[in-house]
Amino acid sequence: MRIQIEDKGKQMKKVLAFVTALFFLNACATNPDGTKLDTTDETTLEAYNRSVFNFNYQLDKKVLKPVAKGYKSVTNQFFRDRVTTFFNNLEEPASAINNLLQGNVKSSGVSVGRFVINSTLGLLGTFDVATGWKLVQEKADFDGTLAKYCVPDGPFVVIPVLGPATPRYLVGWGADSLASPTFWALYDVDDDGVNAVAYGAYALKYVNKRAEALTLTDDFERNSVDLYTTMKSAFMQNRQKYASLCAQTAESENLSYDFDFDDEDE
Amino acid sequence: MKKFLYTFAFALSLMFAHSAHAALSNEQAESFIKKVTNQGIEEIINANVSLKEKDARFAKLFNEYLDLDFIGKFVLGRYWKTATPKQQSEFISAYRALNIKTWSARFDEFKGKSFVFKGTTPSNSDNQVFVNTTVDMGQGAPAKVVWRVKDTKGELKIVDIIIENVSLAITARNEYTAYIKKNPNGLDALIADLKQKSEQTSR
Repeated sequence: MRIQIEDKGKQMKKVLAFVTALFFLNACATNPDGTKLDTTDETTLEAYNRSVFNFNYQLDKKVLKPVAKGYKSVTNQFFRDRVTTFFNNLEEPASAINNLLQGNVKSSGVSVGRFVINSTLGLLGTFDVATGWKLVQEKADFDGTLAKYCVPDGPFVVIPVLGPATPRYLVGWGADSLASPTFWALYDVDDDGVNAVAYGAYALKYVNKRAEALTLTDDFERNSVDLYTTMKSAFMQNRQKYASLCAQTAESENLSYDFDFDDEDE
Repeated sequence: MKKFLYTFAFALSLMFAHSAHAALSNEQAESFIKKVTNQGIEEIINANVSLKEKDARFAKLFNEYLDLDFIGKFVLGRYWKTATPKQQSEFISAYRALNIKTWSARFDEFKGKSFVFKGTTPSNSDNQVFVNTTVDMGQGAPAKVVWRVKDTKGELKIVDIIIENVSLAITARNEYTAYIKKNPNGLDALIADLKQKSEQTSR
């Protein structure tokens, strides 16, 4: 059963290698002075993104969404809230580390305190009692840590199954997975039963997330005339929150939303 | 959880306005949004009236307090300039109808929520101010809602709502200009599509 453990380590390495490769691949696609790719490359990237987006859309429509709908019909809001809070709690260690890396010592302490309190008094993290004690969550991720050190975001890419991303987002996501308590708790486990439970838990996490987003995504689908562009635009705007972390690019956060009528952003 | 937000924000956005003169001050902008959100919550979301009445009140507030002419012009980008006056007005009315329908379908999600005011941020434009608010979503960090307020000849209007860093106007602009660029029938196809979408959207 030792082999399995190695497999797991190998798998993780593969993921990391893939993510890193993507990162550099895309870094190369940008000119050294930071100007955009030439138009042909941009068109190629968009064509690729759109085709992966369509694949993901069909996958969601045929598999994830029906499952999420079924799940929603057999659970109530209270149950789904417990699931959300539980998985949210598992992200506190990553927040603690990243807050520290970003120089926010006090926030890092808050993350540690929340994790300890909610994991115990909060019944394994299913209840957020720490917020009631004025320990309000201060999330931080490795994506933000990279932003803090002014690592560029890179272009918008759609990843099969995973969805919208940027190279920096992917690196951050991979690094944060390594900080997850579940990853370490299961790292050495070679019991098939335990592993099955672990995969079940991951499935629950994503199905629960999808179920909670149903109303919003249905709305997008109904109202958008170009779903890919809507999703890309919303995803990239949301990443604006990281811009203020890097001292070089920091500006009053809202200013980037000023209407510029001469701007040709399509 | 963000969905609550969306609904919430838009519903509220609608309600209200009123006057004042001269340059737009931070206090004026903030109290304007306070009034709008309070009225949205009290007179529509929490009001004990029929859905039909709620829809009617919402449409009225939306039309009164959102500057759709200004937003529409921004949203079409460079295609606004090449559009005929007829296309311009048809686009605005289709865009308006779709937004009203979308937001009124979601009143229930906003019940019991309220906004916390977090001050204002200056804009690059003299007559505009960003009003920062947050909404408690029941769990997790509160959601961030920023209102862009514009002073037009002494009358205050909302020209954008930025929910969790996503601007409704900028998103629509990206979406619509990409659509027009790709579609051989351009703006006319967009208008027809928007009309069709608002007819589909129903509770």
